[in-house]
Parts: sequence; structure tokens; C-alpha cells
Amino acid sequence: MSEALRRIVSGNSLKTRLWIASALMLVVVVILVARLWHLQMIRGSSLDEQSLTNRVRLIRLQSSRGRILDCAGRVLAENRPNFRFSVMPAELQDSYEVIRTCGPVLGLTPERMRVLIQQSKSIPKFLNYPIKKNVSLEQLVLVQSRLTGLKGVTLEARPYRRYNYGKTLCHVLGTMGEISRKELVRGSRVGYRPGDLIGKSGIEKEYETYLKGNDGWEQIEIDARGRQLAVRSRRPAEAGSDVILTVDALLQRYIEEIFVPRAGAVVAVDPDSGRVLAIVSKPDFDLNLFSPSISEVDWKDLNSDPLHPLENRAIRGLYSPASTFKIVAAAAALAEKIVTPKQAFECAGRFDLAGKSFRCWNQYGHGKVDLHRAIVESCDIYFYKLGLKMGADRMAKYASLFGLGMPSGLGLPQELPGLIPTSQWKRRNYGDYIKDGEMVAISIGQGSVVTTPIQLAMMTAALANDGKLLRPAIVSQIRSPEGGVVYDHAPVVRWDLPLDDDIMSFLHKSFLDVVDGAKGTGKRCRIPGITVHAKTGTSQVISFKQRPEDNASVPYHERSHALFVAYVKDRPKKIALVVVVEHGGGGGTSAAPIARKILAKYYGVPDPGDPEE
Amino acid sequence: MIGSHHGSTLATATRFEWPLIVISLLLAAIGVCIIYSATVPMGDVGMSLVLRQITWCSLGLILMAAFLLTDYRFLERWAVWFYLAVVVALVVVWSLGKVTAGSKRWIDLGLMQFQPSEFAKLAVVIILAKVYQDFAGKTKLHLRDLTKPFILAAIPVFLVFVQPDLGTGGVIALIAVSMTVFVGIERRALLVLGTVAACAVPVAWLAADRLLFTYQKRRLLTYLNPDYDPLGSGYHIMQSHIAIGSGGLLGKGYLQGTQNQLMFLPAKHTDFVFSILAEEWGFVGCATVLVLFSLLFLRGMAVAAMSRDSFGALAAFGCTTIIFWHVAINIGMVMGLLPVVGVPLSFLSYGGSSLLSSFLVIAILVNVSMRRFTF
Repeated sequence: MSEALRRIVSGNSLKTRLWIASALMLVVVVILVARLWHLQMIRGSSLDEQSLTNRVRLIRLQSSRGRILDCAGRVLAENRPNFRFSVMPAELQDSYEVIRTCGPVLGLTPERMRVLIQQSKSIPKFLNYPIKKNVSLEQLVLVQSRLTGLKGVTLEARPYRRYNYGKTLCHVLGTMGEISRKELVRGSRVGYRPGDLIGKSGIEKEYETYLKGNDGWEQIEIDARGRQLAVRSRRPAEAGSDVILTVDALLQRYIEEIFVPRAGAVVAVDPDSGRVLAIVSKPDFDLNLFSPSISEVDWKDLNSDPLHPLENRAIRGLYSPASTFKIVAAAAALAEKIVTPKQAFECAGRFDLAGKSFRCWNQYGHGKVDLHRAIVESCDIYFYKLGLKMGADRMAKYASLFGLGMPSGLGLPQELPGLIPTSQWKRRNYGDYIKDGEMVAISIGQGSVVTTPIQLAMMTAALANDGKLLRPAIVSQIRSPEGGVVYDHAPVVRWDLPLDDDIMSFLHKSFLDVVDGAKGTGKRCRIPGITVHAKTGTSQVISFKQRPEDNASVPYHERSHALFVAYVKDRPKKIALVVVVEHGGGGGTSAAPIARKILAKYYGVPDPGDPEE
Repeated sequence: MIGSHHGSTLATATRFEWPLIVISLLLAAIGVCIIYSATVPMGDVGMSLVLRQITWCSLGLILMAAFLLTDYRFLERWAVWFYLAVVVALVVVWSLGKVTAGSKRWIDLGLMQFQPSEFAKLAVVIILAKVYQDFAGKTKLHLRDLTKPFILAAIPVFLVFVQPDLGTGGVIALIAVSMTVFVGIERRALLVLGTVAACAVPVAWLAADRLLFTYQKRRLLTYLNPDYDPLGSGYHIMQSHIAIGSGGLLGKGYLQGTQNQLMFLPAKHTDFVFSILAEEWGFVGCATVLVLFSLLFLRGMAVAAMSRDSFGALAAFGCTTIIFWHVAINIGMVMGLLPVVGVPLSFLSYGGSSLLSSFLVIAILVNVSMRRFTF
């Protein structure tokens, strides 16, 4: 008992301390209430008056967006002023007068104006509601002279994006658009307002935080008529940073011009640094359609086009790599010692397996083929047999090592991973193992194997640089408006491939003969004086009972996709290249000439044209 | 205590802490009403903010109900893990912020943005309750006893400060200090700490005053709270004053506040929500809210007093101080008694993480209260 008493006296009992704490909390609340009373009851009437005549406004000074440049400093995207005529519903008094004086000048009928002004009342009443966007300079001068004496009407200069090269690099640069409600809820803390433009795709979206800059503020006093009296204080806006790409706009535009087929993709990279030299996706669209805002007709046209021009096929197009996958299969077979370069298989033009017959593209058969010949002449039967010996999982391991079936990490939004089938994947999705018939398809890059052009480009680059899988880069530098370097690209080696020098030189020799050999499938890519290594691929969209006689007799959507990967490694300026022509027929026929033209342009030599048969 | 198992569950049911639940729901409901008023001028965006707040309220209730199913002692067993998880989340946020070159306070979970600093407060309360449970009501803290709690509190405080989030970092520090003082510091340790603090404050003040130019200080402050005083001219606090003062006794009426509807107020649905309450509902409305908060504090203290063990008492006390410091700092800030630091008003301000952690506070209090008879 005395112990408890002592505790209470010394203030060490929990209960006593809780009483003291409660009392202290209530004291604080009383202080708050006292302050509240002081503000609301004693100073209330004067503050109330101030609220009625509150004429101090905080005006945002919008920052100017950074530019996007190519590797040589050519300006791809910049800002231009765009004028819009707006009304502020809260301050608009005489809407009839506005319709009468401004309508004819702006080319709007009184009915249309009335509807628009009515609509403006549904938005927050202190915000400007645009009545007419894209006011021309002549209209601007005319409207300006009539504005005096009208309240609640403004002409705002808003920057919009101008894309100097139009269609060039459209998928990479990406579009801007008005901020959506969802983005606004997310971004309200970083200073976005309704009506702001924000990057919606491509670089404009991915590098939004760098391009945007920081808004400034200005505190102004206005009179009862809403006119500005004085600037109390201001903090200027900070412009956004410039994003400099690795792409060469001239090479890019050249490829876009020579790529005549309807749809497809081209990716060219520097195999030593992973820098993307050109990245083309066809069909394309003019970026300026989207700026300042896209018309409904254009939007419908782009969206309903069966060829999906808005899709960036270079990172989102899923194609069976077809025979270009033999790069993986050959490397895997040699590294895993499944075959020796000398070992030969018999190709009779067809291969029977469990009652099904698999054909080689050469229906008469290649006879006895070793690995070198199987690559050069692209013999399918050889790789069927090799694939069956290897199994899906070992194949998948090497495909992954070459960067297939996973995003390349280019740093553009919405890149697709593609798919490399493994027995685990098969079990999880179908509850089954990979059957031999399926393995046969996998070993020539068909079946469920799908990859994107950027992955194929990085796979080719890994050959060209003797075994390093690099992360591709599209942004070379980010520079602040003062010229400081915010970001500078340095090559990133994702990993080294476990391929020794013997295997490497064997592969180089084989891919060289694909172009230079008498029976090489890629001889249409021959350029005198340049050692081009390459592999062709023809990916079937549907399977035919009988091989069709010629491409033209097949409907467009049933034609095979043509693929061609190529690299040049013995020059100071190296390149790795992939060309995909959708429904282009044979890789050697339709994709190889495009690759040849690109390489000739890149090395500044004249295009030798197709070799004579 | 005599009584069968049946008897004790009956006791649990009848002594359920209804007042706390009713008070918190009332406050949250008032919050939704004010947020609606604050966001009406924002059009469509505003409505979706209100819907989100309501969603988080319901989520908070579900979380609370789920938490009541287990004995609060499990918090003591899991205190260290909870604490570590929060510290890891804070480090992740910090490194993300470094990558994106800006202030970063949340982790994006897709559906919602998770703000670990809000849960750091709870983690500190629980870990300190665990550390202090052997001292409370028995012996006072000596200097050597203070090392561990100091480090435990300093890590999250530092990580929140560098986000930078001056307000929340300060609140966590205040909560830790409150709990330590509540347990009681031995006289000699108090003397040492007092001397150190008395020396450190003027030194820091002088150093800041001498070494930094005025514009640098202003820039630093703007950097720490970019949302509130973009010009360093006191614009926002002036507008907040006008809003509160013009409310008068009964207010201008719901949705009628001119300061609010004309968007003079900054961050009004988050940290300045009290200004709108004051403008539209007047002194009566504000006093009502303050009375509700006072009742909440008193109930919280009562729960601490009734707790069956000192861990429960300390956790209940710490949880109450979380709400207390938020209320004191936020309302002091909007009324110009304290500098403007970003601290939300519990239950009323817009924000999912803040609301969830406030409901968790109530859940802990109710849990401690309803298990006071079970041993």
C-alpha cells in the first residue's frame, strides 16, 4: 500500500501520468479554440470583408517543355505558340455582346457560340473554357481589337508541340494529349492542372518528368473588373530538359522512304554500345496530327486502320523469328556439344515423325548436310533433328541468353516480352509436356516462339560484338536548359554469352557465307567491299498443304512474313540490323534488298542492286 | 478475476469501445463532406477524389474489423518485423526518389499509392511500446536505457526527413519524445538531455543564420514544402486566415465558401481542409470537430489506463499521441500558430494512407480496450 502511495506522490504511477497527459492535451485544444475564437469572432468581420474583396491571385507561369533532338542535334520536337479564345464563366457578364462582336471574326455562327458558352458553365467556373482553339494570326489581331470592355474573355497563348520531321520516328517520339482524369488524380501533387498537355506515348511519356520542367508562380493584384494592377512577387518558370536521342534522323528518314511494303519494322543498332541507330515501324502517321489536338476524323481513321499504324511494331510487333532463330539453335548445339561442326544429317526434303510429315523449304532435299551448310542453305530438316536431340529447355536457355522472350529494356512504354516456350510454361498453361511435333516447330523458330524486332536486333548485335548481350538505348543524353548534362548514356552489358572463340568464328563464317556463298539464301544483300553477315527467315502465317508456286497468287494476309538479320563487324562503324516485312514472302527475296540499301547508305557506298541469277 | 470462458467473451462484447468507433466514423464522414465541397470546383476530378476517399474509409473499416479478431499482443510479437518492413519501404521510397530526381513519398501499387511514412508512425509506437513495457510504471529511464529507443526512432525520422517530408518526420519525432517522457526519465538523464538540447538549439540556429543567406533559407523552406509557399511570401497562409476568419460564428454555409469555391486556398482538400470547415461551417462547426477530437483523446487515455498490461497501455498512449500531434500541428498550422509544414488532419484530410493509418490507430485502441479482461 505504501509502495503504491509513494508511486502516486512521485508521479510515477501510470494513471497519474495519464491524467497529466490528458490535461495537457486539453490545454492544447483550448489554445486552438482560443485562436479560433480570435480569428473568427474578433477579427472575423474584417477578414470577411477581405474575402469579399479578395483580389490577389496566384497565377501559374507554365514552364516550356524540353525539346527532343536526334544524335546530330537536329530538332525533332519543339514548342510553338498556339492561341486560343476562351471564356471564364465566373467573370463573363454579357455573353450576347461576346457572341455579337467575336463570333464573326472567329468564324463561328451565333448558335454554335451560344452552345459553347452554355457548355462552359458546366466546368469549374473560375477556369478558362476554350471556345476556339488554333486562332490564326489574322483572327488574333481582329479579336484583340474588340476585346476591350468585355469581361471574362481571354486570348491565351498556349505552347503546342511541333514535330519538324512529321512522320519520322513517330512511334518513338510519341504523342501528347490533354491530361486524363486518372493522371490528374495521380499527378495533382506535381502541379498538373485540368487541360494541361502530358506525354501519352513514346519518349514524350517516358521522359515526361525531364521534359516538363517546373512551373513558376506570379502573385498579382487585380481590380474589380479583373484587370491586372500590379505584380506582387514572382518566381520564373524553369524550362524542361532537352532529350537527345541516339537515332540519326537522316538514316531513319532514308529507311522510312525505301521501306515500301505495307507493314513491317526495321531496327538498326550499334553492336558495341547498344545505341539504336534507326527504329522504324510501318505503317506510320504524322505526329503533327496530334498537336495541338487530333481531330475526330483523323483519330477514327488511325484507330480503324486494319494495319494499326499507331502500334510501334519495333517493340510491340510479335513475329515468329523463323529461320533467324537458327542462330540460337546453332549456338546452343555447339555450346552444349550436341553436334560437331563436321557431323552431317540426311535431308530428303521431308521428315516423318509420329505419323506426321514435316517438310524442308527445299522439297527436293539438301542431301547430306553439315551445320555450316544447314545454316547457309537454311536446311530445316537438319534443325528438326538437332532440336529433337536438344529439347525445348536447353533451347530456351540459349534463346534467353540471346535476349529473346523478355523485354529488351529499351525504355519505351509498353514493350512486349514475346515468348520462348519451356516445358514449365507448357505445363503451367496447358498441363502437358512439349511434344516432339512441337519441338520440331520450335527448332526452326515457329510454333509458339514469338519475338519482337528489337530483341532480334540485340541478338544480332550480340553476335556482331562477339558475345555480349547489351541493353539497347534510345536516349543518348538529357541536357538541362542551362546546358548541364542530367543523364549520359553508358553501354550496359546485360551478360556475356557462354560461347567460346571457336564457336564464334564458326558462326561468323557461316553467316558470312549466307551472303557470299553460291547457294546462300541472303545473296541479295551482297555489297562489294563490305563483309555482310546475315541470316534470312520466312515465317509462315498459315500452313499450306502444297507449297504455293509464287507469292502473288496468295492473298495478302496469308503470305509469309519475311525476316532478315544482318551485321557488319570488321569496320570501325559497326552495325546490327533486323528487317521484318509483314506478308512479304521470302526473307531472302523481299527483306534482304531493304537491308542491303540500308547498309549501302550507312557506309556511303552506291547500292549495287540485286545480283543477277 | 473469476469467470468462465463464456463470461469473458460476454464481457468483451458488452465493454466494446463503441465511443471511439462512433467518433472516428463521424470525423471521417465530416471529412468526406468537406472534401466534396473542396473539390466541387475541380469538376469531374473532384468527384473521383471523393469516391476514392469513401473507398479508403470502407477499406479502413474492413482492416479495423479484421484486426480486432486477434489479440493485440501479436503486435508485440511482430513489432520488430513490422518495424523492419516500414524501414525497408522507406528506403525503397528514398531510392526511388533519387532515381526520379525529386521528392518522392509513396510507392505505386497500381490501385493506390502507398505512403510508408504514414505507417512509420505506427511502427515507431509499437516498437517503443515493446521496448518501454518493462519500464512503464516501475522505474524511470536512465541514460543508457535511452540509446536503443533513440536509434529506433531516429532511423525512420531521418528517412522521412530526407524524402523530404518535414512535417511527418517531425510528428514521428514528437511521438517518440511523448512516449519517452510518458514513461519517465530519471533526473540525472533529464539534466544531461536538457543541457544538450539547450546547447544544440542555439548553435543550430546561429549556424543556419550565419551560414545561409536569406534567399537560401527561403529556397530551403520552399524545397521542403513546395506546395505551400511557392513564392515565399506567405500567400497561402494569408488566404487561409481570410478563409477561417470570414467564416464567423455559423459559417457561410455548405458549398458557399468563396475562398474555397474560387480556389484561393492551396492544397485545400489535403492539408488545408480545416480552413474550409472554418469558412463554411464557422466557429460552431470547428468547435464541434475539436470536441470530437478531445473526446477521442480522452477515450484513448482511458483505454491506456484500463489496459491489462503495460505494452497495451503504452501502445494506446502512443496511438493517441499520433492523432493528437496531427490535430495540434495541422490546426495550429492553418491558423498561423505554427509554420506551414505538410501534416494532414487525421480522418478529415484527403489521402488513403493517412486515413488507413488513422483507422488502424482506432483499431489498436479498441483492441486494447476489449481484451482488458482476457488473460
